[in-house]
Amino acid sequence: MSDPAPTTPPPPDTVTLTIDGTAVTVPKGTNVLEAAKTLGIDISAFCYHPGLSIAACCRQCLVSIEKNPKLQPSCQQTAGDGMVVRTTDPQSTLARKQMLEFTLVNHPIDCPICDKAGECTLQKLYFDHDNADSRVDVPKVEKPKVVDLGPHIVLDAERCILCTRCIRVCDEVADSHQLEMINRGDHQELTTAPGQRLDNPYSINTVDVCPVGALTAKDFRFTMRAWELDSTPSVCHGCATGCNVEIHHKNDRAWRLVPRLNAEVNGHWMCDEGRFTYHELREGRLAAPVVDGLPSSWDKALGTAAEKIAAAQAGGGLAVVLSAQAGNEENYALAKLATAWKAQVFWTARPHRPERADDKLRDADVNPNTAGVKAILGGAADNDAAALEAALTAGKVKAVVMLGYDLPLSEGALRHLRELDLIALASHERGPVKHAAVALPIAAWAETAGSVTNRDGKLQRTHAAFPPPGQAVAGWEAVVRLGQAASPAAKLTWAHGRDVWKDMTAAVAPWKGAPWGREVRPLQLRFAGSRG
Amino acid sequence: MAGHGHEEAHDETAGPKVLAVSKVSPKVRTIAVVRPSEHDVTYLEAARKGLGVTLRHFMKNFFGKRRPAEALAKGEAVEPRSRFKPAWNEIETIQYPEEKTHYPERFRGLHRLMQREDGNVRCVACMCCPTVCPANCITIIPAESDDKGVEKKPAVFEIDELRCVVCGLCVEACPCDAIRMDSGVHAKPVENRGDAIMTRELLLGLSADVGKDPQSTATQGGEGPDWRG
Ligand code: SF4
Ligand code: SF4
Ligand code: SF4
Ligand code: SF4
Ligand code: FES
Repeated sequence: MSDPAPTTPPPPDTVTLTIDGTAVTVPKGTNVLEAAKTLGIDISAFCYHPGLSIAACCRQCLVSIEKNPKLQPSCQQTAGDGMVVRTTDPQSTLARKQMLEFTLVNHPIDCPICDKAGECTLQKLYFDHDNADSRVDVPKVEKPKVVDLGPHIVLDAERCILCTRCIRVCDEVADSHQLEMINRGDHQELTTAPGQRLDNPYSINTVDVCPVGALTAKDFRFTMRAWELDSTPSVCHGCATGCNVEIHHKNDRAWRLVPRLNAEVNGHWMCDEGRFTYHELREGRLAAPVVDGLPSSWDKALGTAAEKIAAAQAGGGLAVVLSAQAGNEENYALAKLATAWKAQVFWTARPHRPERADDKLRDADVNPNTAGVKAILGGAADNDAAALEAALTAGKVKAVVMLGYDLPLSEGALRHLRELDLIALASHERGPVKHAAVALPIAAWAETAGSVTNRDGKLQRTHAAFPPPGQAVAGWEAVVRLGQAASPAAKLTWAHGRDVWKDMTAAVAPWKGAPWGREVRPLQLRFAGSRG
Repeated sequence: MAGHGHEEAHDETAGPKVLAVSKVSPKVRTIAVVRPSEHDVTYLEAARKGLGVTLRHFMKNFFGKRRPAEALAKGEAVEPRSRFKPAWNEIETIQYPEEKTHYPERFRGLHRLMQREDGNVRCVACMCCPTVCPANCITIIPAESDDKGVEKKPAVFEIDELRCVVCGLCVEACPCDAIRMDSGVHAKPVENRGDAIMTRELLLGLSADVGKDPQSTATQGGEGPDWRG
C-alpha cells in the first residue's frame, strides 16, 4: 500500500504480504493467522493451535483476501507473496461474528459452574465480537454432561464447540487415537473411540487446548476459579526433561501446573504425571528445625550440627551428600562448603524408572537436576549412591551432611547410617530425615528462586511462587547458616540466590556467563486473558 | 475568615490586609490577623440560639403526640402538618428493641442462602460473590454435587458478618439468585469474633426462618423454568 518498496529484495525463503494495509514479511509457509499475529492483529480462532496440525473446521478465522471470491480461513491459508488480506472489512467481520453466533446456538452457557470461565476463548470472543443477546428461541440440543472419559478427564459434550483440538492432541502428541467425533450437524458430539478411554500419559493436554470448558481435569475441577489464581513461571521437577510450566497458585499453595511454551524443551505440552508433582509440595513438609526428633530452633539446631560436624571432621569421617532432586544453587553451595570441610562428596538421586520413558517428553530419570549435580561435581561425579553405600559399609564415615531426603541405599547401609550423625537439609520429613540428628527445613522447588539443569544440559531458571512453610528457608541459605555456624572460616556470605548464581556460573564451566535474568513476580491470571 | 479562595487570589483588595512584604521573597508577607469581635468570643449569642433549639424540641416531645407503635412499624406516613395540628409528632423516640421502626423494602439485613425445591442450597459455588466482595468476607469451598444436573455446590459457605460492609454487591453478582440480603435480620452482637461467621446451614436456615419464600423463583437463563426445552 503506502509503504515504500523495500530497497533490498527480501531473502528467498520469506514472503511479503499486506494485512489491513500494513506490509509484513514472514518465513515461507507461515499461515495468514500467524502473519497477522506478528502485526498484533489477533484473528479470532477456535480450532487452530500452533502446536497441532490444521483442521480448519471452526471457520472462526475467516478473512478476505483480494482476488479471492470467497472468504478464506486464515489458519489454513498459507501466506503468499503480494497477498492482500483484510480482517476488518465488513464482509469478513460479519462472517466471524455470525460464525460465533452459530457456535453459541447450542452452547449451554453454564459459565457459573464451568471451570473454564475466566480463561475461556468463547467467552473472550463473545465480548470481542458482539456481546449481544441471543436471537435463538428454539430449545437447545441436549448432550451428555459430566461424562467420565478417562482417569483424569471429564467431558461436558454440550459445551464442546467441535474444534477437534483434543482429538489432534491425542493423535499427534500422545500418538493414541482415543477421541472421535460421532453424528453430524448439531448432533455432532465428541466421544471416545470404540473400546477406548481417554487414558494416555499426555491426556490432560486436551484440557489445556480445549478452548471451552468441555474437558476438565478431575485433579483441578471445581477447586479454584481461573481468575482467582496467580501464575509463576517455573520448571517441572518430575523428571530430567524439565518441561517449562506455570505454577498456578493461591493462598500460598499450588493448585495446578500447566505447560509453558518452550520450543526447545517441551513445546506446548507436558505429561500428566508431571502435573501432579505439585501435590508433593504440601505433603509431609519439614517446617521447623528438628534436633534428635524434637522440634527446635535454628540456633540450637545449627549449634548441635556444628558440634557434630567438628567432631567428625577431626577424624576425617565427614561425608557430604548432594542431591539430584535439589536445585543447582543449594547443591553448589553445599559442595563449596564440603570443600572447605575437606569432606568426601557423594550425590544421590531417585532410582530411574525405565518404564515411564518414551521418545516424547517423559524420561526414565525422575530427577530434575542430575545433569546439574554432575556439572557441579565435575571429577567427583562418579561418587554416586553406590560409592556412598561402599563408604558407609566400610565404616569410614562418622557423620553425614545430606541434601534432600532420597537415599536409595540397601537396608544394611541405612542401618549403618542410623548409627551415624546425620545432618539433613530437607524439605520433607521423609525416609532418613526422620532419623536425622539434626534436620534443617529448606524450601521446595516452587518456593524459592533457583535453577535446574535438564537432560540436555539446559540451565533453566525457576521462580518463587509462594513462601516456604514455617521456618524453612531456601536451600542455599540453610547452607550459608550451617557454614557460618560450623566453619566461619569458609566465609559463606551469600545474601541472595543471585549471589550464589554469580559464583556458581563463574565456577562451573558449562554455565559460564549465564544470566540470572529478571526477577519474576506472580501474574494475576484475571489479567491474562484466555488460555487454550 | 478570609481564606485563600479563588476570588482573593485574583482580587488583592479582598484578601487579608497586607502590612509588609519581604524584600527577599515577595511571597512572604506580614498580614493583619482578623480576630472575632468580643461579642462573638463570649459565644453568648450561639449559646442562646442552641438553648432555643433544645427548648423547642423539648416542647415538641413533651406536649406533642407520638405516632402509635403499630403505625410506626408499618411505616405509615406522618399526619400532614396543618394549622391546628403542628408537626410536633414528627419527632419520635423509639423504644428499641421493644418497638421497631419501619424498614424500607430494600433494607439489607443478614444474608440468607436460597433453597432449591428439594431444599438443597441453590448456590452453585460459582465464586462470583467472593470475587466481588470488597471486604473479602465470603469463604466458599466448592465440591462436586451428587445431582448431575447441578454439578457444583458449596461444601463450605461462610460469611463473616463482622467483616461484611453490607454493600450488597454479592447479591448483585450472583447469577442464580442464590444469595439475598432481604432477611430483615440485624447482625447479632457476639462475644467472640468467630461467632459472627455464618455457616452454610445458618444462612440456609435464615431463609426458612424469616417467613419469606425460602425458594428462589428465578430461573436459569431467565426464560422460564423449561428454558432448555
Ligand atoms: S465454555 Fe466458556 S462460554 Fe461455555 S460455559 Fe464454559 S466459560 Fe461459559
Ligand atoms: S472437547 Fe474441547 S478441544 Fe475437544 S473438540 Fe470439543 S471444544 Fe474442541
Ligand atoms: S454485602 Fe458486600 S461486604 Fe458483605 S458479603 Fe456481600 S459483597 Fe461482601
Ligand atoms: S454468586 Fe451466588 S451462586 Fe455464585 S458463589 Fe455466590 S451465592 Fe453461590
Ligand atoms: S481457526 Fe481457522 S478454521 Fe478454525
